[in-house]
Order: sequence, then structure tokens, then C-alpha cells
Amino acid sequence: MRDNWRENLKLFAVHRIPLIATLMMVFLFFMPINSVQINYFRPVVGIICVYYWSLTRGYIFGFFSAFLVGLIIDIYSSLPVGVNVMIMMLLVWTTDWLRKYFSMSSFGVNWLAFAIICTAFLLLKWAFLSLYFHHLLPLAGSGLGLLSTVMFYPLIAYINALIARKFLPQERIDE
Amino acid sequence: MVRQKVLLIKVGELKDLFRKLFVVILFLTAFLFIMLSRFDSVAIEALNKVVIKVTGPVMQVVELPARVIHHVWTYFYDISHIYAENQLLRDENKQMMILQNKVRTLEVENQLLSRLLNYVPPAEASFMSAQVVAESGDKFTHLLLIYVGNEAVKKGQIVMGDESVIGRIDTVSPPYAKVILITDINSKIPVVVERTRVRGILSGNNKDLPQLIFMRSTTDVQEGDIVVTSGVGGMFPAGLPIGFIGSINGNRVEVEPMADLSRVEYVRIVDYGLAPDAELSVDFVESEQNAR
Repeated sequence: MRDNWRENLKLFAVHRIPLIATLMMVFLFFMPINSVQINYFRPVVGIICVYYWSLTRGYIFGFFSAFLVGLIIDIYSSLPVGVNVMIMMLLVWTTDWLRKYFSMSSFGVNWLAFAIICTAFLLLKWAFLSLYFHHLLPLAGSGLGLLSTVMFYPLIAYINALIARKFLPQERIDE
Repeated sequence: MVRQKVLLIKVGELKDLFRKLFVVILFLTAFLFIMLSRFDSVAIEALNKVVIKVTGPVMQVVELPARVIHHVWTYFYDISHIYAENQLLRDENKQMMILQNKVRTLEVENQLLSRLLNYVPPAEASFMSAQVVAESGDKFTHLLLIYVGNEAVKKGQIVMGDESVIGRIDTVSPPYAKVILITDINSKIPVVVERTRVRGILSGNNKDLPQLIFMRSTTDVQEGDIVVTSGVGGMFPAGLPIGFIGSINGNRVEVEPMADLSRVEYVRIVDYGLAPDAELSVDFVESEQNAR
């Protein structure tokens, strides 16, 4: 009985690893860079991680994890709280639906799918915010951000894959 | 045996139903947050404070290795440029000495004239320095997160870079505070063009150059004119430099900030002993808007 309780606790902790890894990366990418050029190329790392984890480990990275990631991004970006929360949860909902088509496909296909989804969701976020502020926000700076987000996908996905290989069980185990 | 199977299916269905209900609740909460952000800033501010208080130290720890690398890089970069910088500082020092003499003379003259006019000088400013801990990772906002420790920092206080205003304190959740930069869409600062005394509001638009709005006339404004705070609204004292007029296209006047907002590492939070009430300034902006 006691061993069972310990096992469950350990499994619970292991299943929180994708969320913790995502939050760490989000925090890291908030670091001041002090360069206007690099600032324009700062990728939206939260969207990469949420897409990656919900696609590959949807059973441990679901709506609640996306909710927390979105909340942290909203608060640190001083955006209206709820916008990124909504975006991240809609992203999980979309990847949930896409999983049956893309879960077994090659990395290239996943990357292409990410590029399309990322563009769609950044436009959706822009629309949400423009509606919120009753004002069309400038989109010019977001283009470079989108490009860097898509370019950064392989690196972030690779780091996440390493974390998954090192810490997560290969098979699905229910808590 | 059959009965147990039926029971299992029912428990599974119930779990699935609860899961779906939970997702719906999460979406509703997100929607509620957006509504609260629009109409009830107090609740959202409290949420902000709690989240920053809990996650702020984690963020600093995560950033530590990258910060160390950055400091080492800056250290060696500075060493390689030390000779040229030294020459520049010597020249600057000579000019400063001349200016210092002039300032001393003017100060004496000012004191004499103030005494003649019974002029009551404004409160002396006190300031504290703070390190920038994080920048906005989002293209749709322009803000900084600074470490203020347990100092008495208040919402609405002015934040300056090396020599000019760069923003104002938005939220304080010790030991951190959020600074809304002058380029952020939420930033509205009453300003005046120093040369012609034409008043306006410096409004952020999420671009690099904020805009001057609600100006009575753009004919008295030229490119290169210095823009300073007007002091109207009671939030900022008058005369603090912000930027230069960058471009004029009909009614569209853009201001180039004096400070390089992308390279802010340390800031000064200035306390002029004024009532730093953000609402005052917002009220002023609204009244200007209604007057048009």
C-alpha cells in the first residue's frame, strides 16, 4: 500500500516534467538581451513547447498545463490576462485533433504543420488583442518573431525530446 | 462478473464527463480573466502580484547561468574598448568642468532671483536604482520587470534611464515591479514641446516611436524639438526630458525616445514627493479626449 502511494507520487512528479521544462524555457526567453536586433528575433518559445508536448505527450500535457503556461506568459508580458491562456488552450485543442494525423509523421512534416499552426495562432492572438484594445496593432514586428519561432522549433523540440528520453517513461502509464 | 463490467464502463464515462467539464471550466475561466482585465483591474492586479511573487525567484535562478555568460562577455568587451572610452571621457570631463562653472553661477543667480520673487521651490527628488530582471517576451507589449527589493516603490512613479523618462511603474509586487515603457500601447503621458510649449499626450503604440496626440497645432512643431513632461495630471513633474520630435506627417507626429529602450540594464525610480496617482493622469487623458 505504502509502495503504491510512493509510486503514484513519483509518477505524478514525472508527469509534471513537461510543464516544468516549458516554464523554465519561457522564463529563460524573458531574459533581457539588450539588443534591439535580437529582440525582434525573440521566439515565442511557449507556443513551441505547448505544441511539442501536447502533440507528443498529450496525456500528460493537457489543457491545465497550457492554462498555466498561458497565465505566466500573460502576466510577465503585461498582456490582458487570459489572452495567452485562451491561445494556448486552443493550441492544445488543435493538436489534440491533429494528433491522429501527425503523431506518426516525420519531423519535417511536424515542423511544417507547426509553421502553419504558429502563423494561424499568432494572427489569432493579434486579432484578440486588436479587438481588446479596439485598435489594429502593428503586425510588422511580429513577422520576424514568427520567423524566429519557426526557425527555433527544431532546437527547442530537440531539447524537449532529450528531456522526454531522459526522464519520461516511453509507455503511457496512468496515475 | 457482468455487473462489474457495467460499473467499470460507467466510472470511465463519468471520468470522461468530468474531464470535459474541467476543460469547459478552464475556457470559461480564461474568458473571465479577459473580462476582468478589461473591467476590474484590482482582481487582476492581485493575481499579478501573487504569480510574480511565486515565480519571480524561480525566473532569476533560471536566468542566472545566461546572465553570468552575458556579464563575462560584457566585461571582456569593455576591456577591449577601454582606451577609446577613456579618451572620450577625458574630453567629456573637460566640457563638464566648463559646464559646472556655468551651473554654479546660474545657481547663485537663481537663488537670488527666487528670493526676490518669494518663489517656493518644488520638492527635491530622491531616486533608487533597480536592475532589469526581464523584458517582455511578447511583440505586443513593451515592458520591463525590475528588482526593487523591499523599497517603498509605488504605482505610477517615474522610471528613468540614464537621462530621460523611459516609463512608469505599473505593478509592484515586492521584490519585483513592472515598468510600462513609453512605447507600450497602455502608456499615455502628458507632454509639452519645450521650444514652443505646445501641449499634447505622448501615446505608446507598440512601435519603436510613440506618437504625440491631442495636439492643438502641429505647425509650431519641428523635427528635432525636445519633448518634455508637462506635469499636467499630477503624475509626472514638469520638465523631464523624454525624446525628440522624430517625424511629422500631417497630424501624425512621432517622437524618438532619448533613451535606447532596447538596451536598458539599470533604471532609476524617481520619487518627487508628488502624489503618484495613475488615475489622475488617466483622468486627464480622458478629459482631453472628451474636450476634442
